[in-house]
Amino acid sequence: MTATCIYMDNAATTPVDPRVAAVMVECLTADGCFANPSSTGHAPGNAARARVEKARAQVAALIGTEPAAIVWTSGATESDNLAILGVARAQRERGRHLVTARTEHKAVLDPCKQLEKEGFEVTYLKPGADGIVQPDAVAAALRKDTLLVSLMQANNEIGVIQDVGAVGKICRDRGVLLHVDAAQSTGKVHIDVNEQCIDLMSLTAHKTYGPKGVGALYVRRHPRPLMQPLIFGGGQEWGLRSGTLPTHQIVGMGMAYEIAGREHASESARLSALRLRLWAGLKQLGDVELNGHPTQRVAGLLNVSFAGVEGESLLYALPQLAVSTGSACTSASHEASYVLRALGRSDQLAQSSLRFSLGRFSTESDVDYAIGAVTEAVRRLRRLAPASVPG
Amino acid sequence: MQSLSYSPLVERYFGHPMSVGPWPPDAGPTAVGDAGREDLGTRVRFELHSDGGVVTGARFQAFGCPHTIAAAAWLAEHLPGRTLESANSMPILELGRLLDVPTEKLGRLLVVEDALHAAIENAGLIRKTGPQLNAEQAQGT
Repeated sequence: MTATCIYMDNAATTPVDPRVAAVMVECLTADGCFANPSSTGHAPGNAARARVEKARAQVAALIGTEPAAIVWTSGATESDNLAILGVARAQRERGRHLVTARTEHKAVLDPCKQLEKEGFEVTYLKPGADGIVQPDAVAAALRKDTLLVSLMQANNEIGVIQDVGAVGKICRDRGVLLHVDAAQSTGKVHIDVNEQCIDLMSLTAHKTYGPKGVGALYVRRHPRPLMQPLIFGGGQEWGLRSGTLPTHQIVGMGMAYEIAGREHASESARLSALRLRLWAGLKQLGDVELNGHPTQRVAGLLNVSFAGVEGESLLYALPQLAVSTGSACTSASHEASYVLRALGRSDQLAQSSLRFSLGRFSTESDVDYAIGAVTEAVRRLRRLAPASVPG
Repeated sequence: MQSLSYSPLVERYFGHPMSVGPWPPDAGPTAVGDAGREDLGTRVRFELHSDGGVVTGARFQAFGCPHTIAAAAWLAEHLPGRTLESANSMPILELGRLLDVPTEKLGRLLVVEDALHAAIENAGLIRKTGPQLNAEQAQGT
Protein backbone atom coordinates (compact mmCIF):
# COMPACT_ATOMS: atom_id res chain seq x y z
CA MET A 1 0.00 0.00 0.00
CA THR A 2 1.21 3.45 -0.79
CA ALA A 3 0.42 6.69 0.94
CA THR A 4 -1.81 7.71 -1.95
CA CYS A 5 -3.92 4.56 -1.91
CA ILE A 6 -7.09 4.42 0.16
CA TYR A 7 -7.20 0.96 1.72
CA MET A 8 -10.68 -0.59 1.79
CA ASP A 9 -9.75 -4.27 1.66
CA ASN A 10 -9.74 -5.06 5.37
CA ALA A 11 -11.67 -8.29 4.75
CA ALA A 12 -8.59 -9.54 2.87
CA THR A 13 -6.23 -8.49 5.61
CA THR A 14 -5.70 -5.67 8.06
CA PRO A 15 -2.57 -3.74 8.93
CA VAL A 16 -1.03 -4.65 12.26
CA ASP A 17 -2.16 -2.23 14.95
CA PRO A 18 0.88 -0.32 16.31
CA ARG A 19 -0.06 -1.47 19.82
CA VAL A 20 0.18 -5.06 18.55
CA ALA A 21 3.46 -4.48 16.75
CA ALA A 22 4.94 -3.05 19.95
CA VAL A 23 4.37 -6.25 21.96
CA MET A 24 5.53 -8.45 19.09
CA VAL A 25 8.87 -6.69 18.96
CA GLU A 26 9.40 -7.57 22.61
CA CYS A 27 9.58 -11.25 21.64
CA LEU A 28 12.13 -11.19 18.84
CA THR A 29 15.59 -10.18 19.97
CA ALA A 30 18.07 -11.39 22.58
CA ASP A 31 16.88 -8.85 25.14
CA GLY A 32 13.28 -10.05 24.83
CA CYS A 33 11.16 -13.21 25.05
CA PHE A 34 12.78 -14.94 22.07
CA ALA A 35 13.26 -18.37 23.64
CA ASN A 36 11.37 -21.48 22.67
CA PRO A 37 8.23 -21.55 24.83
CA SER A 38 8.50 -25.33 25.00
CA SER A 39 11.94 -25.02 26.68
CA THR A 40 10.53 -24.80 30.16
CA GLY A 41 13.75 -26.03 31.76
CA HIS A 42 15.17 -22.51 31.89
CA ALA A 43 14.06 -18.99 32.67
CA PRO A 44 14.00 -17.55 29.14
CA GLY A 45 11.85 -20.48 27.98
CA ASN A 46 9.51 -20.00 30.90
CA ALA A 47 9.24 -16.28 30.16
CA ALA A 48 8.27 -17.04 26.57
CA ARG A 49 5.81 -19.68 27.78
CA ALA A 50 4.23 -17.11 30.09
CA ARG A 51 3.72 -14.73 27.16
CA VAL A 52 2.19 -17.53 25.07
CA GLU A 53 -0.20 -18.48 27.87
CA LYS A 54 -1.21 -14.87 28.44
CA ALA A 55 -2.04 -14.61 24.74
CA ARG A 56 -4.00 -17.86 24.92
CA ALA A 57 -6.10 -16.34 27.70
CA GLN A 58 -6.63 -13.14 25.68
CA VAL A 59 -7.86 -15.12 22.67
CA ALA A 60 -10.05 -17.35 24.84
CA ALA A 61 -11.64 -14.32 26.48
CA LEU A 62 -12.83 -12.88 23.18
CA ILE A 63 -14.85 -16.00 22.38
CA GLY A 64 -16.01 -16.78 25.91
CA THR A 65 -14.01 -19.86 26.71
CA GLU A 66 -11.13 -21.14 28.81
CA PRO A 67 -7.50 -20.87 27.65
CA ALA A 68 -6.99 -24.64 27.46
CA ALA A 69 -9.53 -24.79 24.62
CA ILE A 70 -7.27 -22.76 22.31
CA VAL A 71 -4.90 -24.60 19.94
CA TRP A 72 -2.41 -22.41 18.08
CA THR A 73 -2.19 -22.85 14.30
CA SER A 74 -0.79 -20.93 11.34
CA GLY A 75 -4.13 -19.28 10.54
CA ALA A 76 -7.78 -19.91 9.70
CA THR A 77 -7.03 -22.08 6.67
CA GLU A 78 -5.08 -24.54 8.79
CA SER A 79 -7.71 -24.34 11.53
CA ASP A 80 -10.49 -25.12 9.05
CA ASN A 81 -8.53 -28.07 7.68
CA LEU A 82 -7.70 -29.35 11.15
CA ALA A 83 -11.31 -29.10 12.29
CA ILE A 84 -12.92 -30.69 9.24
CA LEU A 85 -10.35 -33.29 8.24
CA GLY A 86 -9.34 -33.93 11.85
CA VAL A 87 -12.86 -34.75 13.05
CA ALA A 88 -13.98 -36.62 9.93
CA ARG A 89 -10.93 -38.86 9.72
CA ALA A 90 -10.96 -39.64 13.45
CA GLN A 91 -14.67 -40.40 13.55
CA ARG A 92 -15.22 -42.05 10.16
CA GLU A 93 -16.58 -45.19 11.81
CA ARG A 94 -19.31 -43.10 13.46
CA GLY A 95 -20.52 -41.39 10.28
CA ARG A 96 -19.56 -40.28 6.78
CA HIS A 97 -21.71 -37.18 6.25
CA LEU A 98 -20.99 -33.46 6.64
CA VAL A 99 -23.08 -30.34 6.05
CA THR A 100 -21.79 -26.97 4.91
CA ALA A 101 -22.88 -24.07 2.70
CA ARG A 102 -22.05 -23.15 -0.89
CA THR A 103 -20.91 -19.72 0.24
CA GLU A 104 -18.20 -20.96 2.58
CA HIS A 105 -14.55 -20.00 2.14
CA LYS A 106 -12.42 -22.31 0.00
CA ALA A 107 -10.57 -23.25 3.19
CA VAL A 108 -13.76 -25.09 4.18
CA LEU A 109 -15.00 -26.19 0.76
CA ASP A 110 -11.72 -27.72 -0.37
CA PRO A 111 -11.25 -29.95 2.70
CA CYS A 112 -14.87 -31.06 2.18
CA LYS A 113 -14.06 -31.93 -1.42
CA GLN A 114 -11.03 -33.85 -0.22
CA LEU A 115 -13.25 -35.82 2.16
CA GLU A 116 -15.59 -36.67 -0.72
CA LYS A 117 -12.59 -38.30 -2.40
CA GLU A 118 -12.05 -40.26 0.83
CA GLY A 119 -15.59 -41.68 0.80
CA PHE A 120 -17.54 -39.05 2.73
CA GLU A 121 -20.72 -37.34 1.57
CA VAL A 122 -21.15 -33.58 1.91
CA THR A 123 -24.37 -31.58 1.67
CA TYR A 124 -23.75 -28.06 0.36
CA LEU A 125 -26.64 -25.84 1.45
CA LYS A 126 -27.79 -23.03 -0.84
CA PRO A 127 -28.38 -19.77 1.02
CA GLY A 128 -31.30 -17.46 0.32
CA ALA A 129 -30.92 -14.50 -2.03
CA ASP A 130 -29.81 -12.50 1.01
CA GLY A 131 -26.95 -14.90 1.72
CA ILE A 132 -28.49 -16.29 4.90
CA VAL A 133 -28.54 -20.04 5.54
CA GLN A 134 -31.70 -20.72 7.52
CA PRO A 135 -31.19 -22.90 10.62
CA ASP A 136 -34.21 -24.97 9.51
CA ALA A 137 -32.35 -25.82 6.32
CA VAL A 138 -29.44 -27.09 8.39
CA ALA A 139 -31.80 -29.15 10.53
CA ALA A 140 -33.38 -30.65 7.43
CA ALA A 141 -29.99 -31.65 6.04
CA LEU A 142 -28.87 -33.57 9.15
CA ARG A 143 -28.82 -37.36 8.91
CA LYS A 144 -28.16 -40.16 11.36
CA ASP A 145 -24.62 -40.41 10.03
CA THR A 146 -23.87 -36.65 10.05
CA LEU A 147 -20.64 -35.96 11.90
CA LEU A 148 -20.14 -32.27 11.48
CA VAL A 149 -21.74 -29.03 10.32
CA SER A 150 -19.35 -26.29 9.17
CA LEU A 151 -20.77 -22.79 8.82
CA MET A 152 -18.97 -19.46 8.76
CA GLN A 153 -20.20 -16.77 11.11
CA ALA A 154 -19.56 -13.79 8.81
CA ASN A 155 -19.11 -14.22 5.10
CA ASN A 156 -15.84 -12.91 3.68
CA GLU A 157 -17.33 -11.59 0.42
CA ILE A 158 -20.71 -10.19 1.37
CA GLY A 159 -20.42 -9.79 5.14
CA VAL A 160 -23.71 -11.44 6.10
CA ILE A 161 -23.88 -12.95 9.58
CA GLN A 162 -25.25 -16.44 10.03
CA ASP A 163 -27.23 -17.32 13.14
CA VAL A 164 -24.65 -19.82 14.37
CA GLY A 165 -26.26 -19.88 17.80
CA ALA A 166 -29.52 -21.27 16.41
CA VAL A 167 -27.60 -23.77 14.30
CA GLY A 168 -25.52 -24.70 17.35
CA LYS A 169 -28.59 -25.58 19.40
CA ILE A 170 -29.94 -27.75 16.58
CA CYS A 171 -26.63 -29.56 16.23
CA ARG A 172 -26.20 -30.05 19.98
CA ASP A 173 -29.72 -31.55 20.23
CA ARG A 174 -28.92 -33.95 17.39
CA GLY A 175 -25.47 -34.93 18.60
CA VAL A 176 -23.71 -33.34 15.65
CA LEU A 177 -20.56 -31.26 16.01
CA LEU A 178 -20.62 -27.62 14.87
CA HIS A 179 -17.52 -25.98 13.41
CA VAL A 180 -17.62 -22.22 12.82
CA ASP A 181 -15.13 -20.28 10.69
CA ALA A 182 -14.89 -16.99 12.55
CA ALA A 183 -12.04 -15.48 10.51
CA GLN A 184 -14.21 -12.51 9.53
CA SER A 185 -16.17 -12.09 12.73
CA THR A 186 -13.73 -11.74 15.62
CA GLY A 187 -14.00 -8.26 17.06
CA LYS A 188 -16.99 -7.55 14.85
CA VAL A 189 -19.69 -9.89 16.10
CA HIS A 190 -20.64 -11.21 19.54
CA ILE A 191 -19.09 -14.63 20.12
CA ASP A 192 -19.70 -16.95 23.05
CA VAL A 193 -18.90 -20.50 22.11
CA ASN A 194 -20.68 -21.95 25.13
CA GLU A 195 -23.87 -19.97 24.73
CA GLN A 196 -23.84 -20.63 20.96
CA CYS A 197 -23.14 -24.38 21.35
CA ILE A 198 -20.05 -24.27 19.14
CA ASP A 199 -17.65 -27.23 19.28
CA LEU A 200 -14.88 -25.96 17.01
CA MET A 201 -14.05 -22.43 15.87
CA SER A 202 -11.39 -21.26 13.41
CA LEU A 203 -9.64 -18.01 14.28
CA THR A 204 -7.00 -15.89 12.62
CA ALA A 205 -5.01 -12.85 13.69
CA HIS A 206 -4.47 -10.94 10.48
CA LYS A 207 -8.07 -9.89 9.90
CA THR A 208 -8.25 -8.40 13.38
CA TYR A 209 -5.18 -6.12 13.20
CA GLY A 210 -2.79 -8.87 14.23
CA PRO A 211 0.05 -10.47 12.25
CA LYS A 212 -0.27 -12.87 9.34
CA GLY A 213 0.83 -16.46 9.86
CA VAL A 214 -0.86 -17.19 13.15
CA GLY A 215 -4.31 -18.40 14.12
CA ALA A 216 -6.03 -20.77 16.46
CA LEU A 217 -8.62 -23.49 16.63
CA TYR A 218 -11.04 -23.48 19.52
CA VAL A 219 -11.73 -27.07 20.52
CA ARG A 220 -14.48 -27.66 23.06
CA ARG A 221 -13.10 -29.36 26.15
CA HIS A 222 -16.08 -30.98 27.86
CA PRO A 223 -16.37 -33.27 26.03
CA ARG A 224 -13.44 -32.85 23.67
CA PRO A 225 -14.26 -34.06 20.13
CA LEU A 226 -12.17 -36.95 18.92
CA MET A 227 -9.74 -35.53 16.32
CA GLN A 228 -6.70 -36.50 14.31
CA PRO A 229 -3.84 -34.04 13.90
CA LEU A 230 -2.69 -32.97 10.44
CA ILE A 231 0.88 -32.21 11.48
CA PHE A 232 3.05 -34.56 13.48
CA GLY A 233 6.28 -33.74 15.27
CA GLY A 234 6.99 -32.38 18.73
CA GLY A 235 3.53 -33.02 20.12
CA GLN A 236 2.85 -29.38 20.99
CA GLU A 237 -0.68 -28.16 21.59
CA TRP A 238 -1.89 -31.39 23.21
CA GLY A 239 -0.63 -33.34 20.21
CA LEU A 240 -3.09 -31.61 17.89
CA ARG A 241 -0.60 -29.30 16.24
CA SER A 242 3.10 -29.98 16.38
CA GLY A 243 5.66 -27.28 15.65
CA THR A 244 7.62 -24.65 17.58
CA LEU A 245 5.27 -21.95 18.76
CA PRO A 246 6.00 -18.52 17.19
CA THR A 247 5.94 -16.46 20.36
CA HIS A 248 5.98 -13.05 18.70
CA GLN A 249 3.05 -13.89 16.43
CA ILE A 250 1.05 -15.51 19.22
CA VAL A 251 1.65 -12.53 21.50
CA GLY A 252 0.54 -10.27 18.65
CA MET A 253 -2.66 -12.25 18.17
CA GLY A 254 -3.39 -12.10 21.88
CA MET A 255 -3.00 -8.33 22.00
CA ALA A 256 -5.01 -7.91 18.78
CA TYR A 257 -7.89 -9.90 20.26
CA GLU A 258 -7.76 -8.03 23.56
CA ILE A 259 -8.02 -4.70 21.72
CA ALA A 260 -10.78 -6.06 19.49
CA GLY A 261 -12.82 -7.10 22.50
CA ARG A 262 -12.33 -3.77 24.25
CA GLU A 263 -13.19 -1.62 21.23
CA HIS A 264 -15.86 -3.79 19.62
CA ALA A 265 -18.90 -1.71 20.56
CA SER A 266 -17.55 1.73 19.65
CA GLU A 267 -15.84 0.48 16.50
CA SER A 268 -18.96 -1.30 15.24
CA ALA A 269 -21.04 1.84 15.62
CA ARG A 270 -18.44 3.94 13.81
CA LEU A 271 -18.01 1.47 10.96
CA SER A 272 -21.77 1.04 10.53
CA ALA A 273 -22.12 4.78 10.06
CA LEU A 274 -19.29 4.81 7.50
CA ARG A 275 -20.76 1.86 5.60
CA LEU A 276 -24.19 3.49 5.44
CA ARG A 277 -22.60 6.71 4.20
CA LEU A 278 -20.78 4.76 1.48
CA TRP A 279 -23.90 2.92 0.39
CA ALA A 280 -25.97 6.11 0.34
CA GLY A 281 -23.38 7.72 -1.93
CA LEU A 282 -23.02 4.77 -4.30
CA LYS A 283 -26.79 4.32 -4.60
CA GLN A 284 -26.98 7.69 -6.30
CA LEU A 285 -25.37 6.12 -9.38
CA GLY A 286 -28.50 4.07 -10.13
CA ASP A 287 -28.52 0.46 -11.36
CA VAL A 288 -26.53 -0.71 -8.35
CA GLU A 289 -27.43 -3.64 -6.12
CA LEU A 290 -26.44 -4.41 -2.55
CA ASN A 291 -25.25 -8.00 -2.20
CA GLY A 292 -26.29 -9.75 0.98
CA HIS A 293 -28.76 -9.10 3.77
CA PRO A 294 -29.22 -5.35 4.35
CA THR A 295 -28.95 -5.47 8.15
CA GLN A 296 -27.75 -8.92 9.26
CA ARG A 297 -24.15 -8.11 8.38
CA VAL A 298 -20.83 -7.01 9.81
CA ALA A 299 -20.47 -3.29 10.29
CA GLY A 300 -17.72 -2.46 7.83
CA LEU A 301 -18.34 -4.63 4.78
CA LEU A 302 -20.32 -3.51 1.73
CA ASN A 303 -20.57 -5.54 -1.48
CA VAL A 304 -22.17 -3.80 -4.44
CA SER A 305 -22.87 -4.85 -8.03
CA PHE A 306 -22.77 -2.18 -10.72
CA ALA A 307 -24.88 -2.99 -13.78
CA GLY A 308 -23.28 -2.20 -17.11
CA VAL A 309 -19.63 -2.33 -16.09
CA GLU A 310 -17.11 -5.14 -16.02
CA GLY A 311 -15.36 -5.88 -12.74
CA GLU A 312 -11.74 -5.96 -13.80
CA SER A 313 -12.04 -2.72 -15.74
CA LEU A 314 -13.78 -1.11 -12.80
CA LEU A 315 -10.99 -2.18 -10.49
CA TYR A 316 -8.36 -0.97 -12.96
CA ALA A 317 -10.12 2.38 -13.25
CA LEU A 318 -9.72 2.85 -9.49
CA PRO A 319 -5.94 2.83 -9.01
CA GLN A 320 -6.08 4.82 -5.80
CA LEU A 321 -8.66 2.60 -4.14
CA ALA A 322 -7.69 -0.81 -2.73
CA VAL A 323 -10.87 -2.89 -2.98
CA SER A 324 -11.73 -6.39 -4.24
CA THR A 325 -13.87 -7.49 -7.15
CA GLY A 326 -16.13 -10.48 -7.65
CA SER A 327 -14.56 -11.10 -11.02
CA ALA A 328 -11.77 -13.61 -11.52
CA CYS A 329 -9.74 -11.13 -13.51
CA THR A 330 -7.23 -13.09 -15.47
CA SER A 331 -9.06 -16.36 -15.86
CA ALA A 332 -9.86 -17.62 -19.30
CA SER A 333 -13.42 -18.43 -18.32
CA HIS A 334 -14.11 -15.07 -16.70
CA GLU A 335 -15.66 -17.01 -13.84
CA ALA A 336 -17.77 -14.91 -11.52
CA SER A 337 -17.69 -15.09 -7.73
CA TYR A 338 -19.18 -18.40 -6.62
CA VAL A 339 -20.57 -16.70 -3.53
CA LEU A 340 -22.55 -14.16 -5.53
CA ARG A 341 -23.66 -16.85 -7.99
CA ALA A 342 -24.95 -18.90 -5.03
CA LEU A 343 -27.11 -15.92 -4.09
CA GLY A 344 -28.66 -16.05 -7.55
CA ARG A 345 -26.88 -13.03 -9.01
CA SER A 346 -26.43 -13.08 -12.80
CA ASP A 347 -22.93 -13.61 -14.14
CA GLN A 348 -22.79 -10.00 -15.26
CA LEU A 349 -23.77 -8.60 -11.86
CA ALA A 350 -21.50 -11.05 -10.06
CA GLN A 351 -18.58 -9.99 -12.25
CA SER A 352 -19.26 -6.30 -11.77
CA SER A 353 -19.22 -6.34 -7.99
CA LEU A 354 -16.88 -4.52 -5.67
CA ARG A 355 -16.25 -5.40 -2.04
CA PHE A 356 -15.50 -2.42 0.18
CA SER A 357 -14.28 -3.53 3.59
CA LEU A 358 -13.75 -0.65 5.96
CA GLY A 359 -11.59 -0.96 9.03
CA ARG A 360 -10.13 0.60 12.12
CA PHE A 361 -8.16 3.16 10.14
CA SER A 362 -10.90 4.10 7.64
CA THR A 363 -12.19 7.66 7.83
CA GLU A 364 -15.14 9.66 6.59
CA SER A 365 -12.93 11.39 4.04
CA ASP A 366 -11.80 7.95 2.74
CA VAL A 367 -15.45 7.06 2.19
CA ASP A 368 -16.19 10.34 0.42
CA TYR A 369 -13.16 9.84 -1.81
CA ALA A 370 -14.35 6.31 -2.66
CA ILE A 371 -17.83 7.54 -3.55
CA GLY A 372 -16.38 10.15 -5.91
CA ALA A 373 -13.86 7.83 -7.54
CA VAL A 374 -16.29 4.95 -8.05
CA THR A 375 -18.99 7.27 -9.40
CA GLU A 376 -16.61 8.71 -11.98
CA ALA A 377 -15.25 5.30 -13.00
CA VAL A 378 -18.67 3.65 -13.33
CA ARG A 379 -20.04 6.53 -15.38
CA ARG A 380 -17.05 6.44 -17.71
CA LEU A 381 -17.24 2.67 -18.25
CA ARG A 382 -20.98 2.82 -18.81
CA ARG A 383 -20.40 5.44 -21.50
CA LEU A 384 -17.86 3.10 -23.12
CA ALA A 385 -20.21 0.12 -23.17
CA PRO A 386 -22.69 -0.72 -25.94
CA ALA A 387 -26.20 0.34 -25.06
CA SER A 388 -28.09 -2.91 -25.09
CA VAL A 389 -27.67 -6.64 -25.31
CA PRO A 390 -28.04 -7.84 -28.91
CA GLY A 391 -30.60 -10.38 -29.97
CA MET B 1 -7.46 -11.37 -6.48
CA GLN B 2 -4.85 -11.63 -9.18
CA SER B 3 -2.27 -8.97 -9.85
CA LEU B 4 -3.45 -6.27 -12.20
CA SER B 5 -0.57 -5.60 -14.53
CA TYR B 6 -0.97 -3.96 -17.90
CA SER B 7 1.33 -2.72 -20.63
CA PRO B 8 1.77 1.01 -21.25
CA LEU B 9 -0.25 0.66 -24.47
CA VAL B 10 -3.16 -0.89 -22.59
CA GLU B 11 -2.91 1.89 -20.02
CA ARG B 12 -3.03 4.48 -22.81
CA TYR B 13 -5.89 3.02 -24.81
CA PHE B 14 -7.94 2.07 -21.75
CA GLY B 15 -7.34 5.38 -20.03
CA HIS B 16 -7.73 7.68 -23.01
CA PRO B 17 -9.57 5.92 -25.82
CA MET B 18 -10.44 7.95 -28.89
CA SER B 19 -13.39 7.31 -31.19
CA VAL B 20 -15.76 6.13 -28.47
CA GLY B 21 -19.52 5.83 -28.86
CA PRO B 22 -21.91 5.60 -31.78
CA TRP B 23 -21.92 7.91 -34.76
CA PRO B 24 -24.67 10.51 -34.66
CA PRO B 25 -27.80 9.42 -36.57
CA ASP B 26 -27.20 11.99 -39.33
CA ALA B 27 -23.54 11.00 -39.85
CA GLY B 28 -24.26 9.03 -43.00
CA PRO B 29 -24.31 5.32 -43.86
CA THR B 30 -22.92 3.36 -40.94
CA ALA B 31 -21.84 -0.27 -40.94
CA VAL B 32 -22.31 -1.87 -37.56
CA GLY B 33 -20.72 -5.01 -36.16
CA ASP B 34 -21.55 -6.39 -32.74
CA ALA B 35 -20.22 -9.49 -30.97
CA GLY B 36 -20.09 -11.07 -27.53
CA ARG B 37 -22.36 -10.98 -24.49
CA GLU B 38 -22.23 -9.03 -21.26
CA ASP B 39 -23.04 -12.12 -19.19
CA LEU B 40 -19.95 -13.79 -20.64
CA GLY B 41 -17.85 -10.78 -19.76
CA THR B 42 -17.10 -9.33 -23.20
CA ARG B 43 -19.15 -7.43 -25.77
CA VAL B 44 -17.79 -5.18 -28.53
CA ARG B 45 -19.42 -3.03 -31.17
CA PHE B 46 -17.78 -1.25 -34.11
CA GLU B 47 -19.38 1.37 -36.34
CA LEU B 48 -17.59 2.05 -39.63
CA HIS B 49 -17.87 4.67 -42.34
CA SER B 50 -16.33 3.86 -45.68
CA ASP B 51 -16.01 5.37 -49.11
CA GLY B 52 -14.94 3.51 -52.22
CA GLY B 53 -13.90 0.48 -50.19
CA VAL B 54 -11.73 2.49 -47.80
CA VAL B 55 -12.54 3.04 -44.13
CA THR B 56 -13.04 6.76 -43.53
CA GLY B 57 -14.08 6.62 -39.87
CA ALA B 58 -14.39 4.07 -37.06
CA ARG B 59 -15.93 4.22 -33.64
CA PHE B 60 -16.27 1.56 -30.95
CA GLN B 61 -18.04 0.63 -27.76
CA ALA B 62 -16.89 -2.13 -25.43
CA PHE B 63 -17.92 -3.93 -22.28
CA GLY B 64 -15.02 -5.98 -21.04
CA CYS B 65 -11.66 -6.14 -19.37
CA PRO B 66 -9.00 -3.45 -19.92
CA HIS B 67 -7.32 -5.54 -22.64
CA THR B 68 -10.59 -5.81 -24.55
CA ILE B 69 -11.28 -2.09 -24.32
CA ALA B 70 -7.72 -1.23 -25.30
CA ALA B 71 -7.79 -3.59 -28.30
CA ALA B 72 -11.07 -2.16 -29.59
CA ALA B 73 -9.81 1.39 -29.04
CA TRP B 74 -6.54 0.66 -30.85
CA LEU B 75 -8.38 -0.79 -33.84
CA ALA B 76 -10.84 2.10 -34.02
CA GLU B 77 -7.90 4.50 -34.12
CA HIS B 78 -5.95 2.54 -36.75
CA LEU B 79 -8.75 1.48 -39.13
CA PRO B 80 -9.30 4.77 -41.02
CA GLY B 81 -7.31 4.84 -44.25
CA ARG B 82 -7.28 1.06 -44.67
CA THR B 83 -9.21 -0.73 -47.37
CA LEU B 84 -12.00 -2.97 -46.13
CA GLU B 85 -10.02 -5.95 -47.36
CA SER B 86 -6.94 -4.88 -45.43
CA ALA B 87 -8.98 -4.14 -42.32
CA ASN B 88 -10.54 -7.58 -42.54
CA SER B 89 -7.17 -9.26 -42.47
CA MET B 90 -5.66 -7.34 -39.56
CA PRO B 91 -3.99 -10.03 -37.42
CA ILE B 92 -5.72 -9.88 -34.06
CA LEU B 93 -3.16 -12.11 -32.36
CA GLU B 94 -0.41 -9.70 -33.35
CA LEU B 95 -2.43 -6.96 -31.72
CA GLY B 96 -2.59 -9.22 -28.67
CA ARG B 97 1.20 -9.36 -28.61
CA LEU B 98 1.47 -5.62 -29.13
CA LEU B 99 -0.78 -5.01 -26.14
CA ASP B 100 0.88 -7.78 -24.12
CA VAL B 101 -2.40 -9.60 -23.60
CA PRO B 102 -1.93 -12.71 -21.41
CA THR B 103 -2.38 -16.00 -23.24
CA GLU B 104 -5.40 -16.97 -21.14
CA LYS B 105 -7.19 -13.82 -22.25
CA LEU B 106 -6.52 -14.06 -25.98
CA GLY B 107 -9.98 -15.58 -26.46
CA ARG B 108 -11.48 -12.25 -25.56
CA LEU B 109 -9.70 -10.65 -28.51
CA LEU B 110 -11.59 -13.02 -30.79
CA VAL B 111 -14.77 -11.24 -29.71
CA VAL B 112 -13.14 -7.97 -30.79
CA GLU B 113 -12.24 -9.58 -34.11
CA ASP B 114 -15.77 -10.96 -34.60
CA ALA B 115 -17.25 -7.50 -34.08
CA LEU B 116 -14.78 -5.97 -36.53
CA HIS B 117 -15.43 -8.62 -39.18
CA ALA B 118 -19.20 -8.17 -38.81
CA ALA B 119 -18.84 -4.42 -39.30
CA ILE B 120 -16.60 -4.89 -42.36
CA GLU B 121 -19.05 -7.39 -43.84
CA ASN B 122 -21.85 -4.87 -43.42
CA ALA B 123 -19.68 -2.14 -44.93
CA GLY B 124 -19.18 -4.38 -47.97
CA LEU B 125 -22.91 -4.90 -48.28
CA ILE B 126 -23.51 -1.17 -48.05
CA ARG B 127 -20.97 -0.61 -50.78
CA LYS B 128 -22.76 -3.08 -53.05
CA THR B 129 -26.36 -2.22 -52.32
CA GLY B 130 -26.36 1.32 -51.03
CA PRO B 131 -27.22 3.01 -47.75
CA GLN B 132 -30.87 1.88 -47.64
CA LEU B 133 -29.76 -1.64 -46.74
CA ASN B 134 -27.36 -0.14 -44.25
CA ALA B 135 -30.19 1.29 -42.19
CA GLU B 136 -31.79 -2.13 -41.94
CA GLN B 137 -28.47 -3.71 -41.08
CA ALA B 138 -27.83 -1.21 -38.36
CA GLN B 139 -31.24 -1.80 -36.80
CA GLY B 140 -30.77 -5.52 -36.99
CA THR B 141 -27.69 -5.56 -34.81
